[in-house]
Order: sequence, then structure tokens, then C-alpha cells
Amino acid sequence: MRNDDTAHERVLELLAREGGTNEANVQRVSAAAGVSEARVWGAGHFYSLLGGEPAGVRVCQGLSCHLAGSDEVCAELCDRGEAHTRVSCLGQCDRAPVALAEDLSLVSYSGRVGGVSPDDPGLPINLGGATEASFTALAHARTMGREALLSELEASGLQGRGGAAFPAHVKWRAICTQEQPERYVVCNADEGEPGTFKDRDVLLRRPDLLVQGLAIAAITVQAHETIVYIRGEFKDERASLERALKKYGEHIADTPIRIVPGHGAYICGEETALLESMEGRRGMPRLKPPFPTEAGYRNKPTLVHNVETLACLPSIIERGGEWFHSKGRTEAGTKLYSVSGHVNHPGVYELPLGVTLDELVENAGGYEGTPLAFSPGGASSGFLPMSHRDIPLDYGSMAHTGSMLGSAGVVVLNDTVDIAEAALWQAGFFEEESCGQCAPCRIGTRYVRQSLERYLEHGDPKLLDQIEDVKWEMVEGSICGLGMVAAEPLGSARRHFPTAFGSRRKRERA
Amino acid sequence: MSTFTVQLDGKGFEAERGETILDVATRAGIHIPTLCDDPRLDAVGCCRMCLVEVSGEGRLQPACTWNATPDMRVTTTSERIERHRRTLLGLYAADHRLDSAGAPVQTPNGNALGDLVDQFGSLPLEPVETPRRGRPDDMNPYIRFDPELCILCARCTRYCDEVEGVSAIALAHRGAESTISTVADRGLLDTTCELCGGCIDTCPTGALSERRAPNLPPEAFEKTRTTCNFCGVGCQVDLNVVDGRVVKVTSPLPGETLNDGNLCVKGRFAYEFIHHPDRLREPLVRGEDGELHPTSWDVAMRYAAQGLMGVKRAHGADALGFVSSSRCTVEENYLVQKLSRAAFGTNNCHQCAAT
Repeated sequence: MRNDDTAHERVLELLAREGGTNEANVQRVSAAAGVSEARVWGAGHFYSLLGGEPAGVRVCQGLSCHLAGSDEVCAELCDRGEAHTRVSCLGQCDRAPVALAEDLSLVSYSGRVGGVSPDDPGLPINLGGATEASFTALAHARTMGREALLSELEASGLQGRGGAAFPAHVKWRAICTQEQPERYVVCNADEGEPGTFKDRDVLLRRPDLLVQGLAIAAITVQAHETIVYIRGEFKDERASLERALKKYGEHIADTPIRIVPGHGAYICGEETALLESMEGRRGMPRLKPPFPTEAGYRNKPTLVHNVETLACLPSIIERGGEWFHSKGRTEAGTKLYSVSGHVNHPGVYELPLGVTLDELVENAGGYEGTPLAFSPGGASSGFLPMSHRDIPLDYGSMAHTGSMLGSAGVVVLNDTVDIAEAALWQAGFFEEESCGQCAPCRIGTRYVRQSLERYLEHGDPKLLDQIEDVKWEMVEGSICGLGMVAAEPLGSARRHFPTAFGSRRKRERA
Repeated sequence: MSTFTVQLDGKGFEAERGETILDVATRAGIHIPTLCDDPRLDAVGCCRMCLVEVSGEGRLQPACTWNATPDMRVTTTSERIERHRRTLLGLYAADHRLDSAGAPVQTPNGNALGDLVDQFGSLPLEPVETPRRGRPDDMNPYIRFDPELCILCARCTRYCDEVEGVSAIALAHRGAESTISTVADRGLLDTTCELCGGCIDTCPTGALSERRAPNLPPEAFEKTRTTCNFCGVGCQVDLNVVDGRVVKVTSPLPGETLNDGNLCVKGRFAYEFIHHPDRLREPLVRGEDGELHPTSWDVAMRYAAQGLMGVKRAHGADALGFVSSSRCTVEENYLVQKLSRAAFGTNNCHQCAAT
């Protein structure tokens, strides 16, 4: 399937420029890119921003927006006769409920602005601090030499902040040992895990850290080119990054950085789907191995890192790996926790890795109402009961509970929420965002959502009898992580809140 | 080529570098079920049917893409694999048209999904609503697409790309809405499609089928192997006969004959002449009345020879020309030029595929 050259890479960009995937545009793009019309059509129709039809107001259906009344927003838009589309989490959970206007500008119906940790130079990222124009970390990195730099990275204990928590230095060393001299650094700025909006704040408030981090990575692994794949809905964030690239251009003249926009598909946050998308194709994850460190972008060794991971680098270089490591509590470093849902001041808080939920929520202004459950790391992490509130929010401890810290998109649900209903929202998200490549995920996500919907309608717990088997197969058989976690919101809700899944009264379908 | 040993279900088998587990198992006679595999296409591992246990790997891995390595231990049958197969098949069946007994429907071209359900069983699951769209307005006369039978293995789109280089169809949309699409759902006649029908041939479930063939179970078709006579390549075809009439033409399996499972639009779909009322079934000669009349081969040959000789006598041999057809074999083409040069004495001979 992947046998053509870079001509294919322009397909999505050209479609976006033409205004989406319709017949006339497909003909033009096909001629310009030298790719068959059917392939252009198929690629374009994978992405929700390239649909070719006006979508109207895109109303976020993320968990926090649901909690904040996205259904009411849709009802109002209906009453006013305004065209709208329900879309997956827009990553603006601290401002919930939100929507995007047709031109992708952000509309917050709450008028809230999310909080961040106050300015503290002792924080490695320090979202509340001023941008740093001197680029001293990068200058220092240039004088260090590769081995010293890798040692510092190893000493820092930095784990990939996208969610997988893979030790960063192992990835870097894997790239450095490749014989292939053409290598790439790719920044995954396709933030989309429901409940997560920390990369957004790095892009908006501290793009200087990202640019420095990218340059440090690029010179260390001797990258041919550095690319930031940024979420298509991130209009302001992209502008912020573009400004930063221009402003700090003199420091990074030897490390070209290019921005590639996404086009509306959560799955492209999965690193190999992201690479497929960068190459102009449908964002369907690749089989692994080979891993991107060996065969990534254009089949060449590629270092893929999350925005936050890269933003940690300047402080590690400047103040040392040990220093960064010591900033954590149960694991190394600080972590940007996105907090939303039923808390008083949703926002992004930088705290030692391993704080408890209560400490975190204290930073976010305390609980709103009586908390019932929380998601520690976005939709993929499922739900945990409040009895888990004292467990450190770190990668190891969360994995031990059967959940995961993931992207640390923490969403708190209070006792006004029907956990089964919340599980349905999450199930709907995964169904919508499944790429459709493999049956366990494509059919499994649909089966889960449909069973849950029928159960909520008819109230008969028997309708959920086969869920465990289906979930088992989704974990065993899916190609990528999306299918593996997609049944977890329902699975964890049933595990931790069994009484919420008993017999119910029949109800009318909305 | 370096060879080494891999263990399949506890027994050692020889493997070569670059071979997949499926390659080794197939040669060893160990059956690993597949749906998206077609030896003519690059393996993609998307149907998940061939997942097996590989030593050192926590997850099940696709046998069709996983390379065999020295000392690898592979398990192709275990409780875990059986459960995986039954559950996966249950999911496929929940997304498929079923017969009154709840099994994937049989089609004139068979249904590999049904066969696997028969073999391994399937977890009974409530059907899911299928939002996959077909192309109901596609008026092409030959190829039908039934989205309710499609399992999204993408063999058809990959065949169209990788074997034919035509790329008329592609996967479009996402998730449960993913389907086999053309640009703007155009009919195949308005695409680059050459109507070779290879997509029908590679489709494992009968989602793609011949419009003109009768809707009968596969065993109702009696197959007769013959050589396609539309050109000199010599593709082998199977004439599918029902009640003494050819109702469909299929290709022998890939790897079985020189055409490797492939046919062109003529070989696969241009069979209606066989039973057409206008088909010439005997020699005809035009009489004094200006009408064509049946006659014997001897008379017809003599008549043609006289006519040709008459031209030669009146205008010279070079007033004649002989054009043979690309449907002729090499031997027949040789004889035509022999006839032209030796019998009539002219070099005016040509073959329609020679330009």
C-alpha cells in the first residue's frame, strides 16, 4: 500500500487549500499531486475537517463539555436554526462547554479561562512564566556533545509525556545507532485525548520551550528535518508556534522546522497514524514493528515526541538531569496535569509527578460538589472510584490499578453524574474516532456503544452480557492502542460501580 | 539463501530469511485461517484472523506479516487463539448479512467468513447497525458491490492498485462508516475502472459479485477449464455452466495457471456470444439472391479460394492482403502468413496486434 514517493504527501494539504473533499477538488488535487483520484477521495474522506461540506458550528462532545452542558448548547443551536455538528473532544475542557465556529475560531459558552500554576522559576516548564528569548539551553546543548547530552537525558529519567511513558533516552539512543543518515524529528502536537489540553498551553504560553526542545533533539540525533504535526483545530496554537519560529529563527537557522497541520482525526495522535497522515494518507496506524525509530517518516528513522516531552528538554540541559529528576515525587520530573470536569478552577497545573488527586484538585480550586469518580488520563484510562484518590498520579501506580496516567487529562465527575451515561459518551467517542482498519476495533467500538445505549434504553443488564468477551477481543486483536482501550470506560465503570449497571427503568429514547 | 529452523506447534520446520510465519506454516501444511491475505498482494495484517502466539511477544501477532526468525517458537492453536478466533468471527458476523440460521449468508462466489464460522464457531452477538454505504446508482453492467457483505479486508482496493495499477476504488470514510468507494460514488463506468473483475475474484465474502450471474450456491456451477480465446496470451478460464449454459467465467486460483488468477474484461465478462442467437454456427455463402445461405466447409473454402484467386488473376498478388486476428494463436498466425506468402505470393500480411 505504501509504495509511492513523496508526491502523496501534498494530497491533504492541497485538499485543505481547495476547501475539502468534493469531486472537483479531488480532480484538481489528483492532477497536481499525481495521485489517483480514488486515493485522494479516500484519504480526504478520512478526516472530519476535509469533509467538503459546511459543518456549521462544531460542538464539542468531550466528557467535560458533556458535564458542562453541551447537549443544552446543541438544543439552543437547534432552536435558533443554526447548523451544527457534534464533534469529538476539542481539547478546551477548561473552558467547557465549547464549540468551533465554521472558521475554526473557538467559542466558549462558559466564558471561562483555564488556570495555570503561578509563575515559579523552580518549575521545569513553568507555564505561568515569561517566554525566554535567549535560548541559553540550546546554546549549551550545542557545546555539550552527543554523549554528554544523552547522559543528561538519561539522568533526568524523562518519560514520554504523550502517555506511553517510554524512557526518552532509550528512544534517542535507538535513533543514534541507526545506520541510515536521513533521520527526522517529529513533534506530536495532535493533542486530542479527551480531557487533555496541556500541549495547547505549552503552544500558547511557552512555544519557546518547544522550539528549543525541538532544536536540541534535532542536533542530537542529527535530524535531516524537524516537523511539528499540529492538530488541525488548533488555530491559535499554530499561530503562536509560527510566531515563535519566526521570532527565534536566528537560533535555529541550522535546524529547519516545518509545521504540518492535522485535519481532524483523533487517531493521528497515534504515532504511526500520524506518520501516515504526514505522508498524505488515511491516518491508519501501521503494524509495529518496525517502530518509527527504525522506519518512521518516509520509512526513515524518526524520533517522535510529544510537545510536553520536548518542552522539558531546555530545563534538563540547563539545570541538569538530576535536578529535573528531583522535581518528581514518585517518578521523575514534574508533570502538566490537565484538570477539568467538576472542579472549581479547571486548568493546567504543573506538579511533581506522583501527586494525589486531592492535591491536584486543591490546585484547581477544590471539588465542585461531591466527587464520585475520576478519569486520570483521558478517555483511554476509564474511570476510577474516589477510593483511589490517594494513589499517586504517576505512570506506574496508575498502571497498577488497571488504569493509566496516559496524558494526565484528569476529569472529575461528581455524584450528579450517571456513570453509565458517562461511559456511553466515551464509548461514542471511540466509535467515532476508530480508523476502521481492523475489525476488533471497528466493530467492537460500535458493539460496545450500541449495547450500552440499548441497556440504558431498556434497562436490562443482560444486554451487557457479551461485553467482557468483546472487550477481551478488542484488547487482544486490535492493531493499535485505540481499540485496546476503547472498551475500558465501560469496563472500568462496571468494575468499580457495579450497582450502576443493574436493572433500570425503561426510558424513552431522546 | 540461509535457512534456519522455527518451531510451529512444537515441531521444527525449515524457513528462509524473509519468509513470514504464514509462508512457513502453509508449506508445512499447518492451516492458519486468513481473510485479508492474497498471495498477489502485499500483506497488511488488517483482518486479524491469522493472529498467532509468537515466543517473546506479549500480544498475538499476525502470521501474514510477522517474519520467521531463527529459534522462534510459534503456537497456532491454543485456548487463547481459539477464543480469539471465535470472538473475532462473532464480531464479523454481527456486522454481516446473516441467513435464517444466523450464519453469514452463502453467495454464488462462496463466503470465506461463513466457512471460518463453520470451522471455528463464533460467539453469538447481537447484530450491529451497519452504516457502510454502497453505490446504489452504479449502472455498470458487470460488477455489483453489496456493502452488507463487506468485511473491509481491502483486498479489492489493494488488487486494483497493486496488480492492475488502476486505482478506481479506494477505502473511504472512517470507522464503522468505512467503505469501498469511488470518487463521489460514481458508477464504475465513470472511473478509471477497466472492469477486469479482479476485485470480484479476490473478494473473500462475495461482497463483490458478477451482476449477470444467477444467484445460486457455488456448487450449482459446473466448471470447465479452458483457454480464453480473446487473445494469444492463453489465460486459463473456468467456464461456469448451469443447465448447459455458460453463465459466468471465473479465473483459476492465483498460482495455479500462468494468468495467476487474473483476467481482463473480455475474458471474464464477454461470454454472451456463446449462446447468442446471432452467433455464426456454420459457414454461410451469399447466393445469387443476395442472401446468405448455410453450406458445407468444403464449399465455403472453395468459394473463398476462387474469389481470392480471381483478384490475383485480375490485379496481381499484391492486390490481396491478409490480416490475422490477435485472437489467433502463434501457430495460427504463422499459417496465415504462410498462406499469404506461399499460397498467394504476397507479403501483404499483418496481424492486428502488431501495430
